[in-house]
Amino acid sequence: MHIGTGLVCGTKIKDMVKAGFHFIIFLADWHSMINNKFGGDMEKIETAGEYFKHCFTALGLAEDKVEYIWASELAGKPNYWERVIRIAKTITAQRAMRALPIMGRDMKAQDVEAASLFYPCMQAADIFEMNLDVACAGIDQRKAHVLAREAGEKLRWGKPVALHTPMLMGLAGIQGSDQGSYDDDPKLSSVIAAKMSKSKPENTILLHDSPELIEEKLRKAYCPPKIIEGNPVIEYYRVLAFRENETVILRREQKYGGDLTFSSFKEFEEAYKTEKIHPQDLKANMAGILADVLRGVRDYFNKHPEPLEQMRKIEAR
Amino acid sequence: MMNQEERLELVTRGTVEIIQPAELERVLAEKKKPRAYWGFECSGKQLCQNGCLD
Repeated sequence: MHIGTGLVCGTKIKDMVKAGFHFIIFLADWHSMINNKFGGDMEKIETAGEYFKHCFTALGLAEDKVEYIWASELAGKPNYWERVIRIAKTITAQRAMRALPIMGRDMKAQDVEAASLFYPCMQAADIFEMNLDVACAGIDQRKAHVLAREAGEKLRWGKPVALHTPMLMGLAGIQGSDQGSYDDDPKLSSVIAAKMSKSKPENTILLHDSPELIEEKLRKAYCPPKIIEGNPVIEYYRVLAFRENETVILRREQKYGGDLTFSSFKEFEEAYKTEKIHPQDLKANMAGILADVLRGVRDYFNKHPEPLEQMRKIEAR
Repeated sequence: MMNQEERLELVTRGTVEIIQPAELERVLAEKKKPRAYWGFECSGKQLCQNGCLD
């Protein structure tokens, strides 16, 4: 699991639990099959789902804090498929296709498995089947959520609130990603493209990476001086460091000017724009922050190595 | 026990969009234990999460 899923989703889920929510982490095995994860091999998909459960447990979201539900549990209920069909009847096939960011806007209906059309309808059905007040996801899911809200209104099942978080880009930034078109909104399209770029292992930090590996990956990260927009390292400060802390201290050797303390992201951004922070210091400090935050996860997997071994097995080609 | 404002702040911080904020406020005002979810595709360690769910 990469740090985007682990930290951005993980912290948001913890916020919601603290605010009194009954929170469900939904392991979408059927959806993964539709999306041809592991070539649609359900056994491997279940292994990956168990691994996800371990990752969230390692992050402090064990079964006593959140409820885990598999999509196949819902799919086994007789009324579930009626819901899917009722939702599908409220929209056109074109609308269903457009709610799938994976398609890319350039893709044509003849390139797509018909099973894909079930995907957004199932996403909506899941929300109603689990009787949810709030549906959370990365911003790339907004179309699926808007679809669920509209269908819910038409069918008089209520309208779920949709809560969207930012997407973390891969370490190569937007430059490093393909420039395919995934959304009508060019900004959202490039964000999704940058998310896609995380499929390259050197481009993404995993929850259980060692501090040395985190440092190495960050050292190679795209991080142009003075530039904020599209700079993944700056993005990690904004989304990860300044979110949790009132102040962020940037450690520097005395000969390079000593430590710097920032009490807001704005202040930090200004300092970077005016070259008061060197990219190298920025990277080294982020490596330290991540290694610290992820210590608990590493300890967990040191004690429970099996899920990682299982994953290694099914990912071997 | 947190008050409504504190709950709302906690739920909305770090988000880029809420559809719709007024509805979220209503949920928090009316329910002590509202229900929420996040869906995850079960993909690999390295594989990207191809855009669907997360």
